Amino acid sequence: MKNPAIADDGDELHFCSTCAFSAACLDRGYDKSKLQQLHMLVAHVGPFEEGSHIFREGDTFDAIAAVRLGTVKTYVTDSEGREQVLGFYLPGEVIGLNAISQDRYPCNAVALEPVLLCRFSFPNIAALAGQVPGLQQHLFRLLSADIGKAALLSGNFSADERMAAFLVSLSRRHAERGFSAKRFRLSMTRTDIANYLRLASESVSRGFTRLQDAGIVRVERRDIEITDIARLEALARDILRE
Amino acid sequence: MSNLIQFDPALLRRYDRPGPRYTSYPSSPQFRPDFTEADFRRHARRTNDEPIPRDLSLYVHVPFCFSPCFYCGCNRIITRDTSRGAPYVERLLREAELVSRLFDRDREVAQIHFGGGTPNFLEVSALRGLLDGLARHFRFTTRADRDFSIELDPRCVRPGDIAAYAGMGFNRASFGVQDFDREVQQAINREQSVGETLRALEECRTSGFRSVNVDLIYGLPRQTLSGFRDTLDIIAEARPDRVAVYGYAHLPQMFKAQRRIAEQDLPDAAARLDLLQAAIERLSAAGYVYIGLDHFALPGDELSRALHSGSLQRNFMGYTTHAACDLIGLGVSAISHVGDSFSQSHRDITGWELAIDQGRLPIHRGLALDDDDIIRAEVIQQLMCSGVIDRAGISARHDIDFDEYFADALLQLVPLAGDGLVEVDERHIVATSRGRLMLRIIAMCFDRYISAQATPMRHSRAL
Repeated sequence: MKNPAIADDGDELHFCSTCAFSAACLDRGYDKSKLQQLHMLVAHVGPFEEGSHIFREGDTFDAIAAVRLGTVKTYVTDSEGREQVLGFYLPGEVIGLNAISQDRYPCNAVALEPVLLCRFSFPNIAALAGQVPGLQQHLFRLLSADIGKAALLSGNFSADERMAAFLVSLSRRHAERGFSAKRFRLSMTRTDIANYLRLASESVSRGFTRLQDAGIVRVERRDIEITDIARLEALARDILRE
Repeated sequence: MSNLIQFDPALLRRYDRPGPRYTSYPSSPQFRPDFTEADFRRHARRTNDEPIPRDLSLYVHVPFCFSPCFYCGCNRIITRDTSRGAPYVERLLREAELVSRLFDRDREVAQIHFGGGTPNFLEVSALRGLLDGLARHFRFTTRADRDFSIELDPRCVRPGDIAAYAGMGFNRASFGVQDFDREVQQAINREQSVGETLRALEECRTSGFRSVNVDLIYGLPRQTLSGFRDTLDIIAEARPDRVAVYGYAHLPQMFKAQRRIAEQDLPDAAARLDLLQAAIERLSAAGYVYIGLDHFALPGDELSRALHSGSLQRNFMGYTTHAACDLIGLGVSAISHVGDSFSQSHRDITGWELAIDQGRLPIHRGLALDDDDIIRAEVIQQLMCSGVIDRAGISARHDIDFDEYFADALLQLVPLAGDGLVEVDERHIVATSRGRLMLRIIAMCFDRYISAQATPMRHSRAL
């Protein structure tokens, strides 16, 4: 199975098709040239190769970025050097949001595969948000969704529920960007999935095996096919609060 | 799928051309010297990263033989010096230690195959030490369906050996027979009595081996129809669970030992086909199921059951029910198939020994599969294992339009369809009962490297 194709590129005046901001800005009559007049620099950056860092914890915050291609993992490291995965960001999703209220990035961001970004640097976030009210609202919405995503998995849920919620979430996020909801490739390792879901690696594999034996998913190396989305959603219901 | 095969001599002769055996795609002549140890490590690590990392399969090559069989094209060392076994086993275990570190500890070994050469060149104690050592470096599964198999030369089986192998955990054995005809045996330098062969087979049964395989070869020097029929009768009577009937490939420019076979002693193309036909008829009459290519199995054997349930697989060890494993080859010349890569160890013993003594993985050459290789490998695997290519399934899984992607291959299939070897319908490409014996020929239409570069003498004949 192929990875989702790269999103349609925008140009001087138009946003990319996966852009996380285009709707919010265009609704208010702001196209790209207007944003530039406000000193908000929109630039395509990358590629970042697999394993290379986009920013590190403590780096000076100067931009948020929307993923155009690939997957980004964010994580922190505790005092004993243990990694804690915070999240995975797919095309169309925004990294760096949790730094907005601070001067520095509070986590690391690393490319899990070749990654292209659309970088929004804003020297003065307050000024910009003041002038583009829709943008501010949109940023808040993204920010709260980002916080919500992490909170979902902190409850007292079974391994199967966590796995199901993880897969349902990936499926919906792929679908939102116009990619297949049923077939996708996992760009994160099982260690990362385990870390993110607070499970052991072996438990993740056993969980996938159980889902596969139950006819809910089919796993071929890193390719996932969801064969019974209804049952997967039923398993995920309590976590996703539906 | 129907396991019926229809024997059509005129067609078989027309399509008898050299081609790969597709124990891998791409086949081993495509392996490249620029595939390095670092590449192997990267591919191994990636397999650990999969959501359900595959079980492991170990192939262990024991290259030593007491005497040279002239037909043999395997990597081997002829010696009567059994003291060469111990240092070889020692290095094998050091290699196993190096490789095992690359794989997560929760990954179980579900299949082991000792091949050669002659694995039972090694003393029972050496084999036991080897297996115990492997069990220290890898985690062997305790599942009942595990396959631990060993190739045995009945001529070197000593009393009590087979019971000892069973005690170590081996549950499958494979014996070379080739032909019981004395004339043939002298011409191939392999004199092996019916008695010692059947004794070894019987001992496997009484020792609790789950399955026994016998290899026969047609197309050998001085082989006659009546002599081969006698051999087939003896084998059909002995009823091993599996029988493989290989066509002898005379490639003396590639395999030195074959230069000792006189060209004029070889049966001609028509005689070869008569021999093959005799084998198919005799084994079918005895109730064996045709699995594919050169393989037959009794209806109750796992291979037959896998064929019917569509779960049959193919890897370097031939047909198997365990191919969804990452395959680790140990020993001189051994081939690994890890993730989307193939790799082969040094084929000369000195190069292999040197690498291990220096603490390096003994990788000689290999190949990282690209997207096109992966798609074609799946098409060929489906064809070789079930005789059916699921076009819609391939299209969906690989996000391609099958008919567009394989336009060239479909064009090449037209004459084969005209000859009734394949049928092409809306969703499938199916090998017919006439085409079942020519799966290699059909598969070659999907082999990018065949059309890209003609390598006629690197492969054996298709029949």
